[in-house]
Amino acid sequence: MIKISRDEVLKIAQMTRVSLHEDEIAPMIKHLEGVLSYAERVQEIAADIEEPSNKNVNVFREDVVVKTGAEKILAQSPEREDDYFVVPVIIEK
Amino acid sequence: MSKLAFATIKELKEKLEKKEISHEELLDFFLKRFSEHDGKIESSLEVFDKKSILEHYNAEGPLCGIPGVFKDNICQVGRIASCASKILENYRSTYDATVTRRLKNSGALILGRVNCDEFAMGSSTETSAYKKTKNPWDVSRVPGGSSGGSAAAVAAGLVPWSLGSDTGGSIRQPAAFCGVVGMKPTYGLMSRYGLVAYASSLDQIGVFSRTVYDSALVFSTIAGHDMQDSSSLFVNKKDYTANLTGKLKEGLRIGVIEDALTAQGMDSEIASSIQEAVGVLEKLGAKVKKVSMPILDYSAAAYFVISRAEAASNLARFDGVRYGFRSKDSDTLHDMYLNTRHDGFGQEVKTRIMVGNYVLSAGHAGQFYENAKKVQRLIRREFKNIFNDVDLLIMPTHPMTAFKIGAFDVNKLQMDLQDYFTCPMNLAGIPAISIPCGFTKKDNLPIGFQIIGSHLSEELIYQTAYAYEQETPWHTMHPDGF
Repeated sequence: MIKISRDEVLKIAQMTRVSLHEDEIAPMIKHLEGVLSYAERVQEIAADIEEPSNKNVNVFREDVVVKTGAEKILAQSPEREDDYFVVPVIIEK
Repeated sequence: MSKLAFATIKELKEKLEKKEISHEELLDFFLKRFSEHDGKIESSLEVFDKKSILEHYNAEGPLCGIPGVFKDNICQVGRIASCASKILENYRSTYDATVTRRLKNSGALILGRVNCDEFAMGSSTETSAYKKTKNPWDVSRVPGGSSGGSAAAVAAGLVPWSLGSDTGGSIRQPAAFCGVVGMKPTYGLMSRYGLVAYASSLDQIGVFSRTVYDSALVFSTIAGHDMQDSSSLFVNKKDYTANLTGKLKEGLRIGVIEDALTAQGMDSEIASSIQEAVGVLEKLGAKVKKVSMPILDYSAAAYFVISRAEAASNLARFDGVRYGFRSKDSDTLHDMYLNTRHDGFGQEVKTRIMVGNYVLSAGHAGQFYENAKKVQRLIRREFKNIFNDVDLLIMPTHPMTAFKIGAFDVNKLQMDLQDYFTCPMNLAGIPAISIPCGFTKKDNLPIGFQIIGSHLSEELIYQTAYAYEQETPWHTMHPDGF
């Protein structure tokens, strides 16, 4: 049975870049513990075998510029100034 | 007119070719189907206006004038692709997915975008940020998921085909719940260019329809190599209807996965209707044997870990900077990320990407992620060994029929375990179809079963599914009230 502490869930939330409100912490811990405790069984049978994990190979193609038009893309930004995306301050004062 | 509503693509094509009906009349008819009937099941997120649908009309091609709908995670230029999430509420695609381009070239008309679980994460279409889609066979029940809108719309006769995507069962489970045909292709056969990624190494686009022939017909227009998707296999376009003779392949060997039929929680009516389906295939000449796959007990766990890990990585791009939703009133960039992702993602998505980051994090990656990838290899090996002995495998799509809306609101793990019988094929990268094989006596709900094949065995799967379908009445049955 996997146990997740309050500190741990806050750390994962931080890595996930998602805030967790106080009332969301306990249900999130419960859900994570449930899924992870079930998922833990992968270690019971995991074994190294020769079988390749997939058949994919690197695929190359010519690096050709495809013009979509910057305006169509910029038009979707939540906030912009001319040809720039605008975001809140990056470095706290 | 309900005859037209449940007509097959094959029949509609004949009507169009004989000029019994024009493509515009057919389009009007199906748009009216949505306005009259979709209120009962809420399958659609948006039905496009007639003029904009016809802008892409191409009078040539094998699906000329045949209407269909797309799951809301497949890009169509100029249209919203929200993934049923608030975070992409207003996102308009700037390009066509490869499947979209191929369908437009084939003459198909795309009527709208349909509901799904948020970012295709769920098994009931209940995690959509917009609405809860209902099952046409019983509107108090879910259509399954995540491609629930795609399955419900086809089952209710609102369109003859739709596209969905399947990462752990998201085409096959809703197909079984709604009594329609759902095909999950070999990984790499269907281009993922323009499909919003959930778990890239498992995701495949696939087709919903009411008959096997129609499925093969739509499949033929979209399958095949695409330079835009580096995981695309070098397979040429093919006519997947060519082998639909009504006969099985000479000496066809079928394995019935015994562990699945005797699994805990398996509905006895489902088990017996699958036994009957096996009987039909035997009568058609198949050599049937029982096979055992104890490793299936571990595939849901491996699937949890791998899919959540990839989701955590794929969904990192939604940051409120370049497109989509941005939470207001954040003082710093960092807070803006946290608030945007808190307010923009629903609970299920947040939980899955949290699980993903946990299993990838230092100290846990060995225990979870690396072991899950090893289990995936064992699953691949086991399928490969079994396919030395048999040509195809049969197992239930799901241990129970469509459940009530809200049934798993509390027990989240049970909801997660909905992928139990379907995710092994995604992990192995092999194709599987779910087709109808009966209805429960107790509540008249559809039952489906899977025909599973080795890599790129789609033609054999379609041939076998078609032969079975011709011997049974299930594809001719439709829900009341539509």
